[in-house]
Amino acid sequence: MIKKYLEKIYLFLIFILLYAPILTLIVLSFNNSKTRAKWGGFTLKWYSSLFQNEQIMNALYTTLIISLLAAVIATVIGTAAAIAIHGMKQKWRTLYSGLTNIPMMNAEIVMGVSLMLLFIAFHVTLGFGTILIAHITFNIPYVILSVAPKLRQTSRRTYEAALDLGASPLYAFFKVTFPDILPGVLSGFMLAFTMSLDDFVITHFTKGPGVDTLSTKIYSEVRKGIKPEMYALSTLLFVTVLVLLILVNVSPKKDAETAAARKHVRRRSRAGRILIKRVIPVAICLVFVGGGIYYASKGQMLTKEKLIVYNWGEYMDPDVITLFEEETGIDVVYEEFETNEIMYPKISSGAIAYDLVCPSDYMIQRMRENDLLAEINFDNIPNIKNIGKDYLERSKEFDPENKYSVPYCWGTVGILYNKTMVDEPIDSWSVLWDEKYKDNILMQDSVRDAFGVPLKYLGYSLNSTDLDELNEAKDLLTRQKPLVQAYVIDQVRDKMIGNEAAIGVIYSGEAIYTQQENPNLEYVIPKEGSNLWIDSWVIPKNAEHKENAEQFINFLCRPDIALMNFEYITYSTPNTAARELIEAESIRNSKIAFPDLSTVPNLETFQYLGTKNDEVYNELWNKVKSK
Amino acid sequence: MSNKLIDFINISKSYGTQTVLDDLNLYIRENEFLTLLGPSGCGKTTTLRILGGFETPDCGQVIFDGEDITNLPPNKRQLNTVFQKYALFTHMTIAENIAFGLKIKKKSKQYIYDKIKYALKLVNLDGYENRMPDSLSGGQQQRIAIARAIVNEPKVLLLDEPLGALDLKLRQDMQYELIRLKNELGITFIYVTHDQEEALTMSDTIVVMNQGYIQQIGTPERIYNEPENAFVADFIGESNIIPSLMLKDRLVKILGVPFACVDEGFGQNKPVDVVIRPEDICLRKPGEGSIDGVVTHLIFKGVHYEMEVRANEYDWLVHSTKMFPIGTQVSIHVDPFDIQIMKKPESEDEEAVNIEE
Repeated sequence: MIKKYLEKIYLFLIFILLYAPILTLIVLSFNNSKTRAKWGGFTLKWYSSLFQNEQIMNALYTTLIISLLAAVIATVIGTAAAIAIHGMKQKWRTLYSGLTNIPMMNAEIVMGVSLMLLFIAFHVTLGFGTILIAHITFNIPYVILSVAPKLRQTSRRTYEAALDLGASPLYAFFKVTFPDILPGVLSGFMLAFTMSLDDFVITHFTKGPGVDTLSTKIYSEVRKGIKPEMYALSTLLFVTVLVLLILVNVSPKKDAETAAARKHVRRRSRAGRILIKRVIPVAICLVFVGGGIYYASKGQMLTKEKLIVYNWGEYMDPDVITLFEEETGIDVVYEEFETNEIMYPKISSGAIAYDLVCPSDYMIQRMRENDLLAEINFDNIPNIKNIGKDYLERSKEFDPENKYSVPYCWGTVGILYNKTMVDEPIDSWSVLWDEKYKDNILMQDSVRDAFGVPLKYLGYSLNSTDLDELNEAKDLLTRQKPLVQAYVIDQVRDKMIGNEAAIGVIYSGEAIYTQQENPNLEYVIPKEGSNLWIDSWVIPKNAEHKENAEQFINFLCRPDIALMNFEYITYSTPNTAARELIEAESIRNSKIAFPDLSTVPNLETFQYLGTKNDEVYNELWNKVKSK
Repeated sequence: MSNKLIDFINISKSYGTQTVLDDLNLYIRENEFLTLLGPSGCGKTTTLRILGGFETPDCGQVIFDGEDITNLPPNKRQLNTVFQKYALFTHMTIAENIAFGLKIKKKSKQYIYDKIKYALKLVNLDGYENRMPDSLSGGQQQRIAIARAIVNEPKVLLLDEPLGALDLKLRQDMQYELIRLKNELGITFIYVTHDQEEALTMSDTIVVMNQGYIQQIGTPERIYNEPENAFVADFIGESNIIPSLMLKDRLVKILGVPFACVDEGFGQNKPVDVVIRPEDICLRKPGEGSIDGVVTHLIFKGVHYEMEVRANEYDWLVHSTKMFPIGTQVSIHVDPFDIQIMKKPESEDEEAVNIEE
């Protein structure tokens, strides 16, 4: 008895473990409140807003087209390959089926990276085509795997019998062999379709700008902070894959059942055959034609003037892009990145020819030093006059002659604190080591930002390469670790708004936004000094539409456009003309958004310290985090 | 029997290092029921598959009705095959199976319908048109396979161990059925089997094969009664094969004792093999036969008793309707015309023939 109960409990625990995350997601997708913590009642609004999101719907269609095309092509190739392998002599058969199995065992990331390298090596432009090729490639082994056992069950004699009765080899194959292996071919197709549908890693590496499948779209959306629409989308994706998997796994059984049933009843098999012979091909054709039209129309757009922009997530008002497209007729392909470090290899590999990128100060220095940047022709950017002289002066720290970059946003790093949880005035980094705030402190989870805090606190430079200084900073960080609630990046904002922590290290731009959401929050630049950062537009050397890029920079420097972006991003703008246009006086003269650079001492921009020093920083940071 | 319909000329075939057929020459006459008989691996199925077009010989020619068909694909040959495991198309009904070949030949619907009716009647399976192959017994499936083949009116029907998968009773029934079919259709049957009883029952001509060589060609009676070598004698029925010495014409020394026989022309004092069928041995009282011995084994087989008699250091296999208990002293007698003299193999090729698989 007890054993039986234990068995049940064990099974129950396993199922909880397996399905709790998905259940949570499904429940949240129906949650009427925007924060994860609260249940605000049942709603379907996230589903409806999901279907109204054109970008996501585009990604959905791309996903379906790619999955279907890849599955169909892989099924044809894979079935042919399985037949060829089946016809080989034993020795070769073992070798070849082994060889086709290896890509399945291979880590996806290896496959993704190697495919990307291959495409780059052969100068294939990353885009829809490369995703498709990649998907076909990784689907083929699955098709072979599901067709091969069916072939083994099929007697060669029936094929020979058909030949013997006068059938040509092709007729014999389609009339006799194919119906026998059809269940295997169909489940191979389904498997391939499912694999394609939810692939992320390989797609991520082989996709080009402007093409997104659902999984890469979700990934890029999630980077900006998870929106509830994403829960809805993930739920739908899960349900779709679940249904497909059930179909794949149940269909052989169904086959056996219908086969048993049609022993005596003839009609049912005819209905089944009509389904196979008519409905499925028609459906496939429809999607093909639809896809063809869709991509033909897209292709027409591609022949127009084009501009490929690579920017931080949530770092531009979408209306700005629309306005630009309307005014100039240039088609903007807009891609987003999460960190400078993710962006850099994409540019340096040359896999995609981006026209305009928005890196941070130290990364611009690094790109300039590695000869990745093109000089900007300032004759095309008369609006540069709107950019404050101070900021151009500051830019010289990473772009000494102001030849390669145009400032876009800037800000400081400081302390955000909740006045209801901290009753003393804060003006120093030292508060981050105060035992009182144990488990109420949020730190930035990136090397340079994290080390910037203790370095400044100790009175050293942000760009210190002195080992002793760095070790001191490391020790401080290690000492601080027990007090820290979490090392995060974007969540500082959400957690501070949600009163989940008392003190957080944050970018000034985020601080303005958080204050609007939660008036109890206060931002301060510590007296020891801090980081001043500037994100600027640069044009990579391999840009294919340099003049369009310059036209876009000029557009962004227009005061009205800069204002739109400021209101959307809430990060300080270096555009003094735009600042004058800000209506709310509290913001126009905000100490957070526009601190007087001359009154705040010891503000420094990050500099690129070279690979060797990067390694030192990373090593020390790993030591801190692993302790 | 009439003229040659099929002629195999110098056919050789090997897979890798293994030679399956070595310089095979064989002709088949019209309306003949010819059986290729031999142990598995003897090359009989390969011969059939070469004729069916599923294998190409390494060298040699296949002539069909005066035409060289060596390289003709199977779908262009005027013959049909009944496969060992039936090879029915499981996703088609019986009617669709039978109509398969006719549809390819673009026959009219009425013609196909009539043919299906006729063929099903011929194999005693009226009314099975809409059944699926899976729902039929082994024997029924085999008859459908035959029906599927014969509706195409082939000049030759090839049958590759068609009864191999059936049980004994069914096999015997099907044997009669095949003989009836052959007589009704009046076409050539080429039949492959390893079952000597099947071969003896149905064939006009038996071709005994071993290790890729033809051992003997002849009528069932001739093959049984006058095996040309020890392999044939051993493979067809049971027999006592004893190395002996041909003293002169009509006299052979078996186990040191001279026996009268009817064979001539082997020369004097030549070593030979002697075949004596167990049912041809007569057991008499001691001293009344040629060699005295003692019964050492006794098994009841239904129709007869099977005994072993130890005489002159040889265990004689004897079939008799009379029972002699173990330990009985007996004497062995063989009539001269029941002694079959066979030449000893001389060349290496012939030697190979004797190696059993």
